[in-house]
Amino acid sequence: MRVTQFWLSFGFGLVTASVLSIAAVGLSLQFGITNYINFAYGDFMALGAYLTYAFNAEIFHVNIWFALIVGSLLMGLIAVALNRFLLSPFARRFDKTFYVLIVTFGLSLIMLNLTYSIWGPNVRSYNMKIEVDMHIGPFLLNKYEIIIMIISVVTMLLIHLMLKTTRLGKSMRAMSDNTTLAMTSGIDTKRITTITWFLSGTMAGLAGSVLGITEGNLTPAAGELFLFVIFAAVIVGGVGSIYGAMAGGVLIGLATEVSAAFINAAYKLDVAFVILILTLLFRPSGLFARSGRA
Amino acid sequence: MAQFWYYVFTLVFFLFDYFILAMGLNIQYGETGVMNFAYIGFVAIGSYVTGAVSLPNSVGTGQQYIFGWNIPFPFNLIMGGIAAMLLAVVVAFIALRRLRTDYLAMVLFALSFVLYDIINNYPRLFNGADGLYNVAEPMTGVFHMSTNSFVIFFSLVTAAISLILWAVMSRITRSPLGRTFRAIRDDADVASALGKGVFRYQLTSMLIGSFFAGIGGGLIIQFGGSFNPSAWLPGETFVVFAVIIVGGVGNNVGLLVGALLVETLLIHLPAFLPDIPGRPGLIEYFSAMVIGIVLMAMLWFRPQGMLPERVRKFPAPAGELLNRDGHSVVAPTPVEAVATTNSAAQVADAHEGNDA
Repeated sequence: MRVTQFWLSFGFGLVTASVLSIAAVGLSLQFGITNYINFAYGDFMALGAYLTYAFNAEIFHVNIWFALIVGSLLMGLIAVALNRFLLSPFARRFDKTFYVLIVTFGLSLIMLNLTYSIWGPNVRSYNMKIEVDMHIGPFLLNKYEIIIMIISVVTMLLIHLMLKTTRLGKSMRAMSDNTTLAMTSGIDTKRITTITWFLSGTMAGLAGSVLGITEGNLTPAAGELFLFVIFAAVIVGGVGSIYGAMAGGVLIGLATEVSAAFINAAYKLDVAFVILILTLLFRPSGLFARSGRA
Repeated sequence: MAQFWYYVFTLVFFLFDYFILAMGLNIQYGETGVMNFAYIGFVAIGSYVTGAVSLPNSVGTGQQYIFGWNIPFPFNLIMGGIAAMLLAVVVAFIALRRLRTDYLAMVLFALSFVLYDIINNYPRLFNGADGLYNVAEPMTGVFHMSTNSFVIFFSLVTAAISLILWAVMSRITRSPLGRTFRAIRDDADVASALGKGVFRYQLTSMLIGSFFAGIGGGLIIQFGGSFNPSAWLPGETFVVFAVIIVGGVGNNVGLLVGALLVETLLIHLPAFLPDIPGRPGLIEYFSAMVIGIVLMAMLWFRPQGMLPERVRKFPAPAGELLNRDGHSVVAPTPVEAVATTNSAAQVADAHEGNDA
């Protein structure tokens, strides 16, 4: 009984890990390049999820997967605009990170309430067929959850290939190591920053939408409530490290769901915080941190 | 008419309560540079403990909570403040000592959510998602007050408490302790090189600020009689930050101005407006967005706030000789002068003088 339960929750853990990895990598990419935390990231996720909802259930009534792609890309563009007109002017003008952090905090407040005023506080759900759960090995998953896992793995592979094989990825890694040095070696840092924000926004939208699909419902505050779990994944993996964020996402995702089989499920997300504290106590720079950082 | 004064004094209450909250956050962030993104958590702990210790034993009240000691005002308030300080000790030893700014911000932000989660889901602590209610209005029995006169009375009590705390806070910010805080804020490495134990001072500042947070939170539950988790989502921390940034970081009078502009005019005044038909809550969302926009505009056009921190200037200490180029040369100084002027923080700190 216990063993079955364990494997069942392990399966759910893989789904949560898929969502969390996408979100954590999106946040980490942007942090690596711009060197400040985006506290509005949870609201990026929520807005992306609602954009997907708009295409899926409100205006065009398109297939959920197509809506998801369009919604995420649109969120990417919004992220680029926000960086261009709001965040990057602040980051350029003020040396202390505090100012940008407060601006992202304020942005979070604005975006959350914007989502509330457009879509209202009621719970919404995507327009999609209800799928039965299937037994796959020891797991019990439905079609959507399997597709989400595939999306996540493909996204991770694409990010990996981009970072390791393309000129863009190389420039991004250079910038995250040392922006000034990257600039002096002829990298167009402004362009890279813009592309990074696009990727980060797109992944936020993607993560928010798949979160909405797995949870079966959407609320404007869902992204914000999920943000601290993303923070936990990012810190456990080592802030700014992309592969750390992937690993942190998987670790935290599995830990929260597996623990839900043994403790009250209401506290499952708090397990993420416990892991976060343990990491801070014993390995403050994260499990996969690069040397000389943190 | 009674209704009108009820509203006015509700605004007065929130003005002075947020003044207290802003002073608490200001000593942490504005004076010492600790970005406490879990500030509202400390407020909530203060509020819950104040309520829970003043309520009677929970058996038969229809609520579940710990304590239930029937402790009268203002001792319950002080216990709330102390509870918030205890939380600060835990937070400081786990997070503050080891983490640089942005990590700390993330961890505190996460802490804020986890506190919320636990209190929401574990009713035996503070009655879960329903929150505490039916907390008796203090001193109504003694003075035989109606609810209306209680609102007036208690907002004046709050004003008095905030003025006492203001006096205490001015003493602190003017003292050598306050100067050391600012030295740490401006450059922790320099302060550390001059022999100031940075962590010890940050801890002190966290403790002072948390006490203020606890008192401010306790006053809220005493004023309204209830407190529930939905009132302290982590976004509320941002409102307190908005108060100190709009008012002026590092200026205690500025904080009162900030509380007036942000808390009274932008949050509580719109709450009295009638709802737009068919769209409940829309005004609330708009006022939240306006706060965000005002804050960004403020940061961009007037980052020092409405009333900026005063630049502190000291005349050259008596007994110190100056070269022709203005640099001081070593001169024999009386022992007392050494004791009063040779503080390392003064050397590190560019601006000195009296604070408001």
